Amino acid sequence: MSGLRDRMLRLRGASSAQPVQIEPAEPMEPAESADPDPDDSAVNGGSLKLSPEWDELGVAIMTTEEGEFLLRETRYPIDYRHGVHGLDELQEAAAGLTAFQPRSIHAPGSRASRPADEAGLVQESGPKVHPERILFLDLETTGLGVGTGNVPFMVGLGYMSHGSFVVEQMLIRHPAEERAMLAYLCDKLTSYTHLTTYNGKTFDWPVLHNRFILNGFRHFKWEPIHIDLLHPSRSIWRNTLVSCKLSHVEEERLGIAREDDVPGSLAPAIYFQYLADGDPKPLHGVFRHNEIDMVSLACLAIRFGHLLSDGLGSRVPHPEGAEELLRTGLWLEKMKGSGCAEPLFERLMNDNHAPPSVLLALAERDKKCGNWPRAVLLWQKVVYAAELAVWPGWGAHIELAMYYEHKTKQFDSALSLAEEALALALRRYSGMRLDAKRRAEVEGLRKRVDRLRTKIGRLSG
Amino acid sequence: MNRWTGKTSGLDEWLQILRQQPDIMENVTHWHTIPPRAARTAAMSKDIHPKLAEALASRGIRELFVHQAEAYEAVRSGKHVVTVTPTASGKTLCYNLPVLQSLLENDSGRALYLFPTKALAQDQVAELQEIAAAMDVDLKSHTYDGDTPPTVRQVIRNAGHIVVTNPDMLHSAILPHHTKWVKLFENIKYIVIDEVHSYRGVFGSHVANVIRRLKRICRFYGSNPQFICASATIDNPREHAERLIGEEVALIDNNGAPVGEKNFVCYNPPVVNKQLGIRRSSVLESQKLAAMLLRQGVQTIVFARSRVRVELLLTYLQELVKDELGTKTIRGYRGGYLPQLRREIERGLRSGEIRGVVSTNALELGIDIGQLQACVMNGYPGTIASTWQQSGRAGRRQGTSVTFLVASSNPLDQYMIQNPDFFFNRPPERALIHPDNLLILIDHVKCAAYELPFEAGDKFGEERLEDMLEFLVEEKVLHRVQNRWYWMEQSFPAHGISLRSAAQENFIIIDLTNGSRVLGEVDRFSAPTLIHEEAIYIHEGVQYQVEKLDHPEKKAYVREVDVDYYTDANMAVELKVLHVDKEHQYGELLRQYGEVTVNAKATIFKKIRLRSHENIGSGPIHLPEEELHTSGYWFSFSEEAAARKNTNDMQQALLGLANVLVHIAPLYLMCDPQDIRVVPQVKAVHTKLPTIYFYDRYPGGIGLSERLFDVHEELLRQAKTLIRNCTCLSGCPACVGPIEEVGLLGKSLALDLIEQTEVPS
Repeated sequence: MSGLRDRMLRLRGASSAQPVQIEPAEPMEPAESADPDPDDSAVNGGSLKLSPEWDELGVAIMTTEEGEFLLRETRYPIDYRHGVHGLDELQEAAAGLTAFQPRSIHAPGSRASRPADEAGLVQESGPKVHPERILFLDLETTGLGVGTGNVPFMVGLGYMSHGSFVVEQMLIRHPAEERAMLAYLCDKLTSYTHLTTYNGKTFDWPVLHNRFILNGFRHFKWEPIHIDLLHPSRSIWRNTLVSCKLSHVEEERLGIAREDDVPGSLAPAIYFQYLADGDPKPLHGVFRHNEIDMVSLACLAIRFGHLLSDGLGSRVPHPEGAEELLRTGLWLEKMKGSGCAEPLFERLMNDNHAPPSVLLALAERDKKCGNWPRAVLLWQKVVYAAELAVWPGWGAHIELAMYYEHKTKQFDSALSLAEEALALALRRYSGMRLDAKRRAEVEGLRKRVDRLRTKIGRLSG
Repeated sequence: MNRWTGKTSGLDEWLQILRQQPDIMENVTHWHTIPPRAARTAAMSKDIHPKLAEALASRGIRELFVHQAEAYEAVRSGKHVVTVTPTASGKTLCYNLPVLQSLLENDSGRALYLFPTKALAQDQVAELQEIAAAMDVDLKSHTYDGDTPPTVRQVIRNAGHIVVTNPDMLHSAILPHHTKWVKLFENIKYIVIDEVHSYRGVFGSHVANVIRRLKRICRFYGSNPQFICASATIDNPREHAERLIGEEVALIDNNGAPVGEKNFVCYNPPVVNKQLGIRRSSVLESQKLAAMLLRQGVQTIVFARSRVRVELLLTYLQELVKDELGTKTIRGYRGGYLPQLRREIERGLRSGEIRGVVSTNALELGIDIGQLQACVMNGYPGTIASTWQQSGRAGRRQGTSVTFLVASSNPLDQYMIQNPDFFFNRPPERALIHPDNLLILIDHVKCAAYELPFEAGDKFGEERLEDMLEFLVEEKVLHRVQNRWYWMEQSFPAHGISLRSAAQENFIIIDLTNGSRVLGEVDRFSAPTLIHEEAIYIHEGVQYQVEKLDHPEKKAYVREVDVDYYTDANMAVELKVLHVDKEHQYGELLRQYGEVTVNAKATIFKKIRLRSHENIGSGPIHLPEEELHTSGYWFSFSEEAAARKNTNDMQQALLGLANVLVHIAPLYLMCDPQDIRVVPQVKAVHTKLPTIYFYDRYPGGIGLSERLFDVHEELLRQAKTLIRNCTCLSGCPACVGPIEEVGLLGKSLALDLIEQTEVPS
């Protein structure tokens, strides 16, 4: 062995000018809890007592046919308040979550991959979401990405049961316990119809899927309706929050403040340290972090459930900013069909501080569903506002010009708007070196002006 | 010949006329004619599915060449196979036939094809899709590489019958995510590896380990695929394939494809300065020959060794024939051209619209450009195997073809051109790999552990696996629980490991003349002599001066200059023998093979005036010493031999001999000349005797010096022939080196040294 080590060091010394990155091999205490004495676990099985260092973590040994792992259970009373929401609201909010049902399941023939984008009549027919059949899940893993070497060393589950919210957390004391943990998990999962995660569609679930295959559960099948709350969070807060990380969203929008939180990014290093020295104490922070993630996840689901069951303005306050109001409306429409966001859009119309970008986005939406009167109104608002602005845009000018040219054939109005747009563009770009994109833009504006002039000339001539 | 246009009726007539032109023929050192050979065929196998037989018939294939039939039978009998076939012999059918047949018999089967480049993979998929369409069956073949859009990746993973990819993709995308490929790995029947000869050296050693990982994953999913390999002509196809895949293989090399008459003309540019041994430029001579061919309307491919030469030749040729053919009909082809442009050129060549192409060895591999009539090689391509590959681009199944090999003045070229027998009567080089190079092996043990935990009793390579695993445990990469080892680290190991880079860390050269752009790369071991501060670095004929060398960041900043000198750095090389593995005493020579460490430190550099070569200044170089631990081979002259010469003469004799040896060593190795290094020492530390050392320039060695140890005697014999037959008076760059370097007596001293050591027979 030491022969191989020497050879490796020689070769590396040759292949790298940097100091070889090997930490000085400190003599380590044999890590007993990391490498459990085979005799002990084999003989004593489930009745094995954990060493006292584990006491304050509140974990217990779980024994299955496949072996052992640790389980930590925390119960929250139903009236527990986490930030602005109470867990008892899940009962009421669950109904709204039906809108997450993938459309193709209960609307055969529909090719739309997104939920309801045609009419608001779909979600009524979907099966009711039972609050006790929703499973919240969050993994702590040894690495990033969904490669086969990324191991979930902790699996957090959250669910409603008999009037309390239960957080169950599994921990493997070493990678050989993974199989037992997965066996337990497989058993557990099938009781639920809905899986709720944060970024679970791209991370947690694919990682678990890998683990099932690698550990001999290749044929395990569970096909819940997967609600990944990252997606609605992004839809709504993409432009208003600096980050859509769960910890940031909960702080900014759910009124949740964590104390002494161990950031999830440190979890792998803490776990490796535990594997190396066998001291479980630092894992407490990881348990707490994951536990709060579970409760926050439930509160976020409550928030979206309220939004989807017309709770805006009653259960949930109206968003303050125009941008968030717009995004909420657009998201509601995407989820439940057009019409359901009208009250929000009306609020937006009456908001005199709404920035042009928001008005333009709403006008774009109106144009798509044929609500021309309001679209025109919105564009006009933007065009008026442009007169006062220092560096105005000209998007609304062009939209209006197109409307007048093609819809109402008011070429004169169209021309003056197009000319105004060209003037604004030239003013903005004067003295700048134009790249191909901008050149094409200015060229397009010129063509539009020319075309309108020709049309008018033809009519009058 | 048409008196008015000067055009001949065909290549045969033109070759006749050429033979009567003394100004050309006096430079022709050898004209080798390989007579045409008729096809040898076998009936289409009886069990071939009617749809497949019909699809082949619709493309004019009603019977098989014997090698195709043999390959089919061997695969059907369950053997791993390597086929060795020259260009245009219907190689792809050797593997497509059994694979397609098997898929027609069982639609749930899967196959994985590996090609060294994306372009080859795309060609192959196009061909497979055509056959599938002709058979009218739902047989899906897809490329899976870096260009594959994410949206279709999932479809390919689940539904692709034949997945065509490259080793790099397998290494970094497929194997570490094997759980997404369950369908493929559960049902995989065949793994096709084409162009196996290109997997050699460091790259090949990596690929062999990727294949070890692939087999491990297949075992996990309960499959045991058969390998079908195809190789260009090399000396050791079976041994090479067996080392690469770690299985016994059946060799199929009974080529039954017909070939037309082939003329191979060795052309040595005339000497223009006898004293200095300078010949006329091979670029100009190649251009002359190519222009003659193009004017005759002969579709011609010109191979050049570097990108710059490709561009040079292209410009010349387009200029020369622009009135007759137009510049669009002559194109360049090299790495760095966009894929779309390459496809366009390939199509143009197949259709005949493009009459001439100037290419680097990028067109040497099996990219489909049809068969041309003539090939001009500007310089010896470096190996016999590549020479045949390149020459194979000209040569149809019927009709005459011609290849001109135009020698440059480098010693290897000069040797080949003067010893054509060596080329025509010798097997080509051996492909060498060393998959158990510890550094490479450990890298792949890491990747493999990421993919699946290791268990006691597992095997991976020749090194003791348990030792490697325990080493990785100490490195805190793996975690052991009883007799299993698990990957326990945050990183994704495949991302840090590139299959293709020889020295892992290259220095980047940044040109600050106009803004900043990356000019090129220099490997770590060359950096101290080429890009030390104040060095003149020459790139595409332009001089740059190094302003700053950021050693920790591995960046050199240069600026364009116009000066009348170049720089030459002195390296103090210290070579220590750690362990002798093999030893052989023969006459006055003792030769040994073993482990060595090489310490190299650049000391000073000299400024040398261009042309006059006078020393006009010097400066120190302050760079850390480089250490390389590798394998080496060396031979020492006896004390008696040492006593016969004074130190200075011995110095020059050794230097001259070393120069020759390092140039001809690639004759026996398929490697880049840079991969093997030589150090002559008048009084070596290890032996206290005059010694010449060779070492592999890759940590741990990749088998090059070991091979040289084995062919030592022949190597010396060839060196002697080369020196003796060189036309120069007292040493030139084509043999022992220029007299500035080896002195006026260098040539005779070197020759003398070899001759003295020969055992009189």
